[in-house]
Amino acid sequence: MTPAISVTGLTRGYRGHIALDRVTFDIEPGSITGLLGRNGAGKTTLLRILAGQEFPSAGQVHVFGASPAENDQVLRRMVLIREDQVYPDIKVRHALAAASWCYPGWSAELASRLLADFALPPDRPVKKLSRGMRSALGIVIGLAARAELTLFDEPYAGLDAVARQTFYDALLADYAEHPRTILLSTHLIDEAAGLFERVIVIDRGRIVLAAAADDLRGVAMTVSGPVLAVDDFTAGHQVWERRQIASQASVVMVGPLDEDDWARARSLRLDLEPLTLQQLVVHAAAQPAPDMTDESVMERTSA
Amino acid sequence: MRTWVSVARYHLVRPAIFVGMPWAIMAFSFVVNLIIFRLVPPSSHAVQTGHGVVQVMNTSHYTGAVAIIYVFFFIMGVFGTGASLPFGLALGVSRRSYYTGTALLAVALAAADGLALTVLQAIERATGGWGEDLHFFRVPYLLDGPWYLTWLTSFVGLALLFVYGMWFGIVYRRWNIAGNVSFIAAQVTVLLAVALLITWVHGWTGVGHFFTALSAAGLTGLLAALTAALLAGGYATVRRVTV
Amino acid sequence: MREMAGLDEGTPLFAQLAGRLAEEIAAGGLAEGERVPSTNELAAYYRINPATAAKGINVLIDEGLLEKRRGIGMFVAAGARRLLLDERRRLFAERYVEPLVDEAARLGIGTDELAGLIRAASQARASHVEAGDIQASHVEEGITL
Repeated sequence: MTPAISVTGLTRGYRGHIALDRVTFDIEPGSITGLLGRNGAGKTTLLRILAGQEFPSAGQVHVFGASPAENDQVLRRMVLIREDQVYPDIKVRHALAAASWCYPGWSAELASRLLADFALPPDRPVKKLSRGMRSALGIVIGLAARAELTLFDEPYAGLDAVARQTFYDALLADYAEHPRTILLSTHLIDEAAGLFERVIVIDRGRIVLAAAADDLRGVAMTVSGPVLAVDDFTAGHQVWERRQIASQASVVMVGPLDEDDWARARSLRLDLEPLTLQQLVVHAAAQPAPDMTDESVMERTSA
Repeated sequence: MRTWVSVARYHLVRPAIFVGMPWAIMAFSFVVNLIIFRLVPPSSHAVQTGHGVVQVMNTSHYTGAVAIIYVFFFIMGVFGTGASLPFGLALGVSRRSYYTGTALLAVALAAADGLALTVLQAIERATGGWGEDLHFFRVPYLLDGPWYLTWLTSFVGLALLFVYGMWFGIVYRRWNIAGNVSFIAAQVTVLLAVALLITWVHGWTGVGHFFTALSAAGLTGLLAALTAALLAGGYATVRRVTV
Repeated sequence: MREMAGLDEGTPLFAQLAGRLAEEIAAGGLAEGERVPSTNELAAYYRINPATAAKGINVLIDEGLLEKRRGIGMFVAAGARRLLLDERRRLFAERYVEPLVDEAARLGIGTDELAGLIRAASQARASHVEAGDIQASHVEEGITL
């Protein structure tokens, strides 16, 4: 199947700063992918290039098989929701009306339902909305558009935890009824971890991790206990972090572990805690040149 | 095509800006002019007649206040790109389509409003200047001739200012205020260079002759050419704008 | 791993989902022949991706615990509980008895003392069940110690 997104060697440089460095990946249609990374990692630049709002310095970008830049055919099949969207002097309902004309899949029913869920006043000028409400407006547009490719760039600025959960629930519910390709960039990883089928981690303009979300769970763990036992247990495994106090040590180790390993850990009286997705991303980003692409992760986890 | 219509609809989603305000301002200006000329006592000027010098009352009131709608078209042009471009691009529209859709809207508005101005001019003529001999919609030389010429000149004039405003808006989006300042400076420089060139070739009398001999229709043609040039300039600038 | 109580972050979600459903079947909460919630319902409830939920369901289908009835939905297969309980009995020694013996040895508790502790705990449980504090398990066979 043609990938929904196919990026090869994408590079974007500004004066004295490389925002994206030979980024290469594919995204299959009909999936939710998490785009993770620190602030300034390059997530926003990548999304804007995908949406044709920025231009690459080098490399190739294909969305639905064609370059999105200045391409109306492709652009009307996708929507990018940014937290820093600039609006003219119009009201909330005007913004929704305009979006309804531009997106063939627009659902007025979903839009009005979400408007109520987020308690957005339709007659208020967008410029007068609080930051959280502006984000909510972006989310309403992004979901109701039902665009084949829906890109969200940290769309939850200013939203409290309850509103964010409303977003995740609404996203999942509509995705289940109307499958599409979704790419969601976020730095609040653990909250959204359940949504993702795939995860792409970017750090300093490079992809450091690209794998199925489920493959990454349990791939690394924190081993804690008496120093000697910990060192004995972790010998031969890749270690990402080591901390020690008195005779206790805590080591972040890359697995995978089988039943024997677990039994051995029990007998050594060691405590094993799997790394959450967020912790995994933090460690992956901190590594100098980790090899955490699909193939190597699959090797590790196919125990 | 469908995209251009979507862009036009997007601009008109709040009719106040592109439809309501120009006419609200015009109406206000008109009423102000009418009241002023009612209140101010008429002046007079001296005229040589066969019986000696006679003081004649200036009953005709000329005002160039109709220019206000032209100025507003410039403002709409700036708004149509400067303020509205970011969200427009977010709606899945290419820069080319956005520009074309906005330009087509400009043409439609200029044609419609130009027609309205023509109609009002006719009414003004028919009512003897609204009963006060007020020349609001009639401007000597430019907007005083047959209705079709008035329509054409108004149309081109309004379109010209809208397109000029569009270019300013795009320059703002691409290079911010500093960009606009440079843009103005560049234009002034060009004009200065042209003036210097004409002076150097002693061509001012020639230029003077050209313009005095120019009819309203000819001037309209010149303005149309200028509009086309501004359209091209704006288009070139919008191609790489990022929001 | 399949006996995790709640959805945690450290293990594959589809496996956790399969585990929870298996747990429900083993405990009798989901009877044989009863309809299992759809993929979308499960995804919405656990707040996970529908594809992940589908993967979990497929694991149970592959193990013969669920069966798909075309056009109607997913149902608990006949004999599913038996299958699950048999597996757990098989693993009982490894999962529970061995660690127990291990820990007892570490603390210097002899086999007789250990047997005495087990008997006491069992009697305590029986009286709690009689008093209604604990629900008796759904396992049909009686147990005597």
